[in-house]
Amino acid sequence: MPAVLGLEGSANKVGVGVVRDGAVLANPRRTYVTPPGTGFLPGDTARHHRAVILDLLQEALTEAGLTSQEIDCVAYTKGPGMGAPLVSVAVVARTVAQLWNKPLLGVNHCIGHIEMGRLITGATSPTVLYVSGGNTQVIAYSERRYRIFGETIDIAVGNCLDRFARVLKISNDPSPGYNIEQMAKRGKKLVELPYTVKGMDVSFSGILSFIEDAAQRMLATGECTPEDLCFSLQETVFAMLVEITERAMAHCGSQEALIVGGVGCNLRLQEMMETMCQERGARLFATDERFCIDNGAMIAQAGWEMFRAGHRTPLSDSGITQRYRTDEVEVTWRD
Amino acid sequence: SGQAGVSGGGGHAGPRGRRGRRGRRGGGAEQASGPRRLSSGRCLNRAPSKLTVPFRTPLEAEMARRSLAPYVQRPRGLVQKELTVNGSALAIRWTAEDPVFFRISVNAFLDQLSLVMRNIRGFGSPPMRSLGRGKRTDT
Repeated sequence: MPAVLGLEGSANKVGVGVVRDGAVLANPRRTYVTPPGTGFLPGDTARHHRAVILDLLQEALTEAGLTSQEIDCVAYTKGPGMGAPLVSVAVVARTVAQLWNKPLLGVNHCIGHIEMGRLITGATSPTVLYVSGGNTQVIAYSERRYRIFGETIDIAVGNCLDRFARVLKISNDPSPGYNIEQMAKRGKKLVELPYTVKGMDVSFSGILSFIEDAAQRMLATGECTPEDLCFSLQETVFAMLVEITERAMAHCGSQEALIVGGVGCNLRLQEMMETMCQERGARLFATDERFCIDNGAMIAQAGWEMFRAGHRTPLSDSGITQRYRTDEVEVTWRD
Repeated sequence: SGQAGVSGGGGHAGPRGRRGRRGRRGGGAEQASGPRRLSSGRCLNRAPSKLTVPFRTPLEAEMARRSLAPYVQRPRGLVQKELTVNGSALAIRWTAEDPVFFRISVNAFLDQLSLVMRNIRGFGSPPMRSLGRGKRTDT
């Protein structure tokens, strides 16, 4: 019954989680929120993480009701993500692994999302739509790898939403995407935006450029409201994601779809994906904000799978990497 | 831990700017000898700078080194860092061609060092054992 501690901090969320045999024993998290109109920079984000992570670590142990001796493995996010925040979290992981004499495991952040999604929802072998501020991929498992069937060729969908939120000076609390979602509910007019699907892949940078320019013109003339733009952006980018997910499901003959990543919390995206799945006779799986948004427990869960499969990360090899492809990891814990 | 000791490489590094042609000449001997004066008249500090950080025990110092070592191992080009343990002290040695990069590197490293020290202080003394060399623990 191994208990694994997981530390996550690849973007503006820092979390420490504890998982044992499929049960999430603790999952505290903090978010670095910047003023409206601004994004989060690596150095400032790392400073935030360094300031709170030790408190989070203690909080996690207390919530789980475990001592350090009862932890069997320390897992941390090896990548992908922002360099300085990743380093700050990795340093803590290395230190506690030595202090407690526990093995260390570097985990792929994307695989953390997938494994937590599988655990929480019970999906067996779904086509995964992984959508967040830093990543947009359509993934399916095949022969010991999580294969990327489609992805963004430029920016992530969450990045598109977050940067559009800056243009409108939408609050970043609790997250810009959440606030765009609430405004979109009040949108009445669909503004036509570029729809950019390229085979199995998507592109968002052009849509962002277009809507940033359109926002200035159309809001100034009163042609539409900020709510209309939020609504239109969501409808367009989410339709693109549904299309490439459906294409992957058709290719794989998959009857399950799983949404993971922070953007996966969006109820409109879930609604559109549900419609597509129903039309195909497939099942849709999604989690709530505790596990959709970056968290420590997802790293712990992926670490738990890897630990049981015999993976270890020597201290000498416990660096971080900003670019870590999902299909780089050999998934030895699945058939 | 007590106060850290800092020794500089000698000479004053002037403000960053374009490097004159004279600044590019010179071999390894010049690097060890202290600041070089550029054609512009500014000094470029190439001599190594050292920081010594005392810990309570040699084990803690080695632990800190191992926590911070992967962070410094990536080749940085303009800034080189080397970590060693001498008794209960962690010694860090920087060699930097540009004072701005040097300052950035030192500040970033000190932030991480502070985190490691708070971590060690907050989560207990290390177990009384010698540190192995990445030996795998069987489950």
